[in-house]
Amino acid sequence: MSVRFILLWLAVGIPLFWGVWETVQNAMKLFH
Amino acid sequence: MPSFLDRESTVAPPGYNRFLVPPAALAVHLAIGQVYAFSTFNLPLTKLIGITHSAPGDWDLKTIGWTFSIAIAVLGVSAALFGRWVERVGPRKSMFVSALCFGLGFIVSAIGVHLHSLALLYFGYGALGGCGLGIGYISPVSTLIKWFPDRPGMATGMAIMGFGGGALIGAPLSVTLMKHFATPTSNGVLETFVTMGVIYFLFMQIGVYAARVPAPGWRPDGARARELEQPRPLVTRANVTVEVAWRTPQFWLLWGVLCMNVTAGIGVIGQASPMIQEIFNGRVSADAATGFVGLLSLFNMGGRFIWASFSDYVGRRNTYFVFFGLGILLYFAVPHLGHLNSTIPFVLAVGIILSMYGGGFATIPAYLRDVFGTMHVGAIHGRLLTAWAVAGVLGLQLVNYIRAYQIEHGVPKAQAYTVTMYIMCGLLLVGLICNLAMRPVEERHHHREPVLSS
Repeated sequence: MSVRFILLWLAVGIPLFWGVWETVQNAMKLFH
Repeated sequence: MPSFLDRESTVAPPGYNRFLVPPAALAVHLAIGQVYAFSTFNLPLTKLIGITHSAPGDWDLKTIGWTFSIAIAVLGVSAALFGRWVERVGPRKSMFVSALCFGLGFIVSAIGVHLHSLALLYFGYGALGGCGLGIGYISPVSTLIKWFPDRPGMATGMAIMGFGGGALIGAPLSVTLMKHFATPTSNGVLETFVTMGVIYFLFMQIGVYAARVPAPGWRPDGARARELEQPRPLVTRANVTVEVAWRTPQFWLLWGVLCMNVTAGIGVIGQASPMIQEIFNGRVSADAATGFVGLLSLFNMGGRFIWASFSDYVGRRNTYFVFFGLGILLYFAVPHLGHLNSTIPFVLAVGIILSMYGGGFATIPAYLRDVFGTMHVGAIHGRLLTAWAVAGVLGLQLVNYIRAYQIEHGVPKAQAYTVTMYIMCGLLLVGLICNLAMRPVEERHHHREPVLSS
């Protein structure tokens, strides 16, 4: 697995993970 | 000698790892998907003069709401207009132009905020940004379809999932930036627009850098290639040009399929927050309803990847059959689920509806590829997206009008959703019929000359 492969997927994966995490935290309000 | 942005510079060498291409598509779609989070600017834009409250001379919510509608309408129109150009110049140049339009759209909007010019806001985010959306939406999809002829649903699902995910990033990002830039004399919208314009332009350069097209005649290795040799119903090996495709009944049937699926989905998205509060009167707070909307965006995003990948195994027509068939049952059931003590069945039903809304967007490029071949799939997809523009503007107005009409005529708010949902069932039935009527394109429409571009 090349460095470029890892870097590219991290570059798009980190912001996406952050967005999903923020949304999940927000969504939890429904069950509180 | 071709420049860095030219199509010729993006042709991949033999043995290129095709899984290096999806991040390029995701980078562009994660950025332009911010459009779904534009509503986070709605309230701050109504307080540009008053800062903490709307002062005389401040824009009202309805006026600002048009910015999003213009952006979605321009998305559809620009995708239709520039589809052929995107196919010709390749993904790198088109992604760069998309980044330029989308980034500049924010900057022009910031100038509009500074001068308090609504025309500049409409032109910046709506028209210029909308062009960035249209070009940026079709370019990665067309590229991925060519790289994954064996799994087109999964590939386009991945990219279009990014569009759904863009809202999940865009909403907290804009809120965080506005908080950071807010001062006693500014609510931080101007600075946020400038910052987001720069951030998104730079982020989309990942796509520009990583975009590659396969060499002419490239096929995936081994078992995957053998799978492609198996004839499958409603999957053609021929190509149909965009000029011919849009004159076939198949194009307009798929236009109807997308338009009905999107209109029905928008009918739920637009009303999700008040709907859960009014159906479960007093049992769901406004804060919990915000959480519900967040949960729906997760279903919307996940559905894009899961349903589109599922379509690779069961076929596109069967997948849309599930969307419309199951959709009719769920839309019919939703108003009645409010009578139950638990919110969970209601949340699940609406979540599945939203997953199928996203799935409809993500599966349509692979459906087009099955029916019209890969040659002009980006351009054909671009023209089909006019269905989205129509659904986004007219569909939303229709839903709002039906609801307002009923409330004016004395129907209680909680019950006003029942008729709206039944009308959505009718729309889904039209979509179901369009989908069932799909047949392969007649051979006389097939492109005869050899395919020059991959």
